[in-house]
Amino acid sequence: MVSFAKLILHRKTLLFAVGVLFSLVVISIFSPYFVPYDPDALKVLDRLKPPSATHFFGTDHFGRDIFSRVLVGTRVTFILGLSISAFALVFGVPLGVLGGYYDRLGMVIMRVVDAIMAFPAIILALALMAIMGKPGMVNVIIAVGMVWAPRMVRVVYSSTLSLRENTYVEAARALGASSGRILIRHIAVNLLSPVIVQSTFTFAFSIMEVAALNFLGVGIPPYVPSWGGMMNEGRTYIIRAPWIIIFPGVFLALSVLSFNLLGDALRDRLDPRLRNIV
Amino acid sequence: MYEKVGRMLSYILRRAAGMVVSVLLVVTITFIFMQLIPGDPASVLLGPNATPEQIEALKRTWGLDKPILVQFCKYFANFFRGNLGESIFFRQPVLRIIGQRAETSVFLGIMALIVVVGLGIPAGVIAAVRPNSWVDNSLLLLALTGASIPSFWLGLMLMVVFAGKLHLFPSSGYTSVIATGNIANLKNLILPAFALGFVNAALVARTARSSMLDVLRADYITTARAKGLRDSVVILKHALRNAAIPITTVVSFTFASLVSGAVVTENVFALPGVGSLIVQSVLKRDYPMIQGIMLVVAVLYVVINFVTDLAYAFLDPRIRYR
Repeated sequence: MVSFAKLILHRKTLLFAVGVLFSLVVISIFSPYFVPYDPDALKVLDRLKPPSATHFFGTDHFGRDIFSRVLVGTRVTFILGLSISAFALVFGVPLGVLGGYYDRLGMVIMRVVDAIMAFPAIILALALMAIMGKPGMVNVIIAVGMVWAPRMVRVVYSSTLSLRENTYVEAARALGASSGRILIRHIAVNLLSPVIVQSTFTFAFSIMEVAALNFLGVGIPPYVPSWGGMMNEGRTYIIRAPWIIIFPGVFLALSVLSFNLLGDALRDRLDPRLRNIV
Repeated sequence: MYEKVGRMLSYILRRAAGMVVSVLLVVTITFIFMQLIPGDPASVLLGPNATPEQIEALKRTWGLDKPILVQFCKYFANFFRGNLGESIFFRQPVLRIIGQRAETSVFLGIMALIVVVGLGIPAGVIAAVRPNSWVDNSLLLLALTGASIPSFWLGLMLMVVFAGKLHLFPSSGYTSVIATGNIANLKNLILPAFALGFVNAALVARTARSSMLDVLRADYITTARAKGLRDSVVILKHALRNAAIPITTVVSFTFASLVSGAVVTENVFALPGVGSLIVQSVLKRDYPMIQGIMLVVAVLYVVINFVTDLAYAFLDPRIRYR
């Protein structure tokens, strides 16, 4: 932990990433209490106002304050990112470990995983949203989670394959340890690094995908302020009022960039060999 | 000689078998997709205005009244005959509609790929030749930023600047080049292709840089330099050729990412491609259309992977012996 703190201070890019992420977490928790305007308040007289001292990021076609909406949208983004990463973990880790440990099971699981991964991410997510019907948070979590769980399975599977060849696993087996004990005490524990790294990337990609779904109008309902949804609503006014789209996009890109930087740094720090897997 | 041909043949056969299994699994997954749709499939397929007679007729033609295993076999048989069903919205065969929309997507894809290769590889090579210089650092930062920008947002920004302010490119729409014979229509695809390609170019640049760095450390590069060869010959002829395999892999991986990006980019620029077709189909609950697009794209992905695998074997003889 101490060494990681040192690493953060020594590398400017990482310091930047951790700083941005910390601010975004604070914003996502506390923004509803300190934003200057009610994010849903309609003020027709103030519609399509450019950024100014009264409205930092300008206003949209309903006169809603973009600054307040972008900050409040952080919360939805982070809740969805966390839930999708958790979804990928819950399904991905057990399947990956079992597949990596038991050869035949692994063959079946990996075939299915490969087949699911043949569907490009957004196409699979769109199809799942179509099956589930209504737009909504839970449906988005399931749809995008189903896209990222197979990728988690893959990472855990390849890590397990190399872990099980270790001498200490062989020693445990020679001492008569059960498969369950080996899986939990010797393999699962050592999967922590690849899983943490992959979760960081899952978070980054999933918030980008959620934004794409919201942008296409098939994600969460339009009345919940979200970055993708705001960009979708701003499209009609893109030439007259580009700020409606610029600011949510900048926040999204900053979040994704910070998670990618953090993921890269964690990977290099925790286990440089992961470069080939994650 | 015979041994060599045999090895190559067995490699191709093994890969082909893998491809067939993947295609069968993909077809199975799309079949399961149809089973997951809530409600009676026949009435969903025909839409809300269908008469009971129509529903009965469809059940008979698709065998929906038969046990699920029979339905499954029928679905497979239809797939191999190229029958992917009929669109609820267009009232036309799914495959025909996809065919009509394919031109835009294919041209967009090719142009985006030109951006990916044309920007990504030179950027990676330049960065690798002068590692840790300011050129390297700024290219790396640009690549990382590129990978973090959503392509649809980049598309919208390009639209604001180049179509809205500078009026250099049209902001949306596309008319078929093949039907009108007017190559100038491709101008409409330049902004979308750049938005789509830039993000993927970032990924290719990172890979090109790291594999070039690996190769440049090799002994034969030192030898080539010691022989007194010019830098450009060493880098382009000796190094880049050997760094080509990882780069090819990443370029082939970008297919899936290009398709994903195209879905949103086509929507941003109002292009009549397969990507905007699937979004419309989702919004209209046109399930056979969604299923058809899923199937076509996934099968294409599997085939491209197969072709890439074969390409490796030609690029790197060592792969054949594994």
